[in-house]
Amino acid sequence: MLDFRMACYAIMAIFILLAGGCAPSTVTKPDLPPAGSTGSEGGALGKDQQLGEGRGGTTRESNAPSTSSLDQLKAGKPPVTPSSSPLKDIFFDFDSYDISGDARDTLRSNADWLKSNSSARIEIEGHCDERGTSEYNLALGAKRAQTAKDYLVSLGISVERISTISYGEEIPMCTEANESCWRQNRRARFVAIPSRPAS
Amino acid sequence: MKAKLLFAVLFFTLVHPFTAVAQVRLDVIGPGMPKYPIAISPLKNAATRADAGRISEGVADAIVYDLDLSGWFRVLDRATYIEHPQRSGDTLGSFDFKDWSTIGAVGLVKGRFSVQGEELTVELRLFDVTQGKEVIGKRYTGRARDFRRIAHKFADEIIKQFTGVAGIFNTRIAYTSTSGGRFKEIHVAHLDGSEKYQVTNNRTINLSPAWTPDGKSILYTSYKDRNPSLYLFDLFSGKDMKFSARTGLNLGGKWSPDGQNVAVSLERGGNSDIHLLARNGNIMRRLTEDPGIDVSPSWSPDGRQLVFVSDRSGSPQLYILDVASGKARRLTYSGSYNTSPDWSPAGDKIAYISRVGGKFSIFAIGVDGGEPTRLTTNGFDNEDPAWSPDGRFIVFSSNRAGRYHLYVMQSTGDNQRRLTGSGGDDTKPSWSPRLE
Repeated sequence: MLDFRMACYAIMAIFILLAGGCAPSTVTKPDLPPAGSTGSEGGALGKDQQLGEGRGGTTRESNAPSTSSLDQLKAGKPPVTPSSSPLKDIFFDFDSYDISGDARDTLRSNADWLKSNSSARIEIEGHCDERGTSEYNLALGAKRAQTAKDYLVSLGISVERISTISYGEEIPMCTEANESCWRQNRRARFVAIPSRPAS
Repeated sequence: MKAKLLFAVLFFTLVHPFTAVAQVRLDVIGPGMPKYPIAISPLKNAATRADAGRISEGVADAIVYDLDLSGWFRVLDRATYIEHPQRSGDTLGSFDFKDWSTIGAVGLVKGRFSVQGEELTVELRLFDVTQGKEVIGKRYTGRARDFRRIAHKFADEIIKQFTGVAGIFNTRIAYTSTSGGRFKEIHVAHLDGSEKYQVTNNRTINLSPAWTPDGKSILYTSYKDRNPSLYLFDLFSGKDMKFSARTGLNLGGKWSPDGQNVAVSLERGGNSDIHLLARNGNIMRRLTEDPGIDVSPSWSPDGRQLVFVSDRSGSPQLYILDVASGKARRLTYSGSYNTSPDWSPAGDKIAYISRVGGKFSIFAIGVDGGEPTRLTTNGFDNEDPAWSPDGRFIVFSSNRAGRYHLYVMQSTGDNQRRLTGSGGDDTKPSWSPRLE
């Protein structure tokens, strides 16, 4: 837990240094609750609270998708998507699996990468913030992952190339109890298919 | 293995009632009644051997803990006791009731113990100080290190004497904890925190432990093979069996009261539905057909209905499903986030959590609906309610002290007491049935 928090601080610190720089467009605006959504109760975020995803995260070879959050957990690393990952996270409102406008842009860019790397197969992870019941959040995470998968498929990516898994609220990227942290945890991640343990 | 050593001898203690006293029901404790003043004396060491295991005070301490947890007793401070346990008698006529009425005691527990080799014999008595008579007398034998179990058994007898229904102090709580660091593992412990046992140690994520009705095994969900599958852990043999490993979530498994089926939420393609599994894990029936989220089933005590959570209305709400017909009706209407239902053993109520002002509180609602009763009112999150097997208590998790810890309260919400403080987050408690 401590490692995650430290990573959070590190990410924040680095972002402040780079403020005004190259925050990905996908996360520089707060999600606006879609009509009919249950909505986010944390209020809109100031720009300085927005975090560039992956900055300060684990070092990875460039142009390869990130590794599974479960493997990151096992290795004692925060489940941060590095900025070098060609596949970016998308974010959701509280208790919602609706895809926002920003998320659509990200999904289109993720689809483009999948089209030009036609042998790549990915796993989409659904995550939630810590609030609420773990079982409901696991089901909500499954919805988030599936909605993202459906969108990629609608953009022409073969369904065979995408698997999904939900981690609910179990592997948070950030562990502070505030909206800026919760928002980062309500996400779908796009990672390389993890290798299965030999059985 | 370790589990075998720990649990194979769980039910060893023998009970010999040696005082035939008519069961005088004393309707002097319970909701709305003033707390009953009682003294619990340390035990007399009846053998020449020294009390190496600190049994004298240990037994008394465990009884004090239990009676205090019940909320129905005011246990008098040991420092005020006039008699020395080793120098005074523990049977009727061998001590002076005045020594106890003087300090305000109405009830009194006295006893003796002796250890021979590894075998411990304990005699415990409950006296009515006002009437100057013995109410309960019991002799127990067991292993010396199991002295707390003997104390819990006698505490159960005291509760039975006063209320007609035995207490629940010989039970355990299964729960998840991150006490070992970043991994969430399943643990089991007594209500007093003793005999703590770590069920899983796979260094991943383990969730939603639930006891089988016989109290011998625990169903839980684990990511140890990556997919969130359902496993059954036998506490006696230490055997861990894969129970349902369908791709996607295999979540919230609950054994039916008759032990014949398991209700579980299975997710495929993002859609979770409640299913009925056979004892071997095969799917018998799909019980919900909704495209939304359907999770967290909990059985009615007669096994005919299930309460579960669905977002089919647009927000998570509780529904009651008739298992035979498959028909579901909505139970909760107030609040936009109602989850984590647990059906009471008496069958009349369902405990659950609801989000109020951005925080989660525990509520109880009648099975026919109506106005819910709020049971926790502090400004923190209170979650994961689970009933005790007698329906008089609820165990739950709360972050009122920083991290999440387990607490127990009366079913009215009174007398909230903290049970755990592992250093990590302790969540998702499941209360065992009564163990012998």
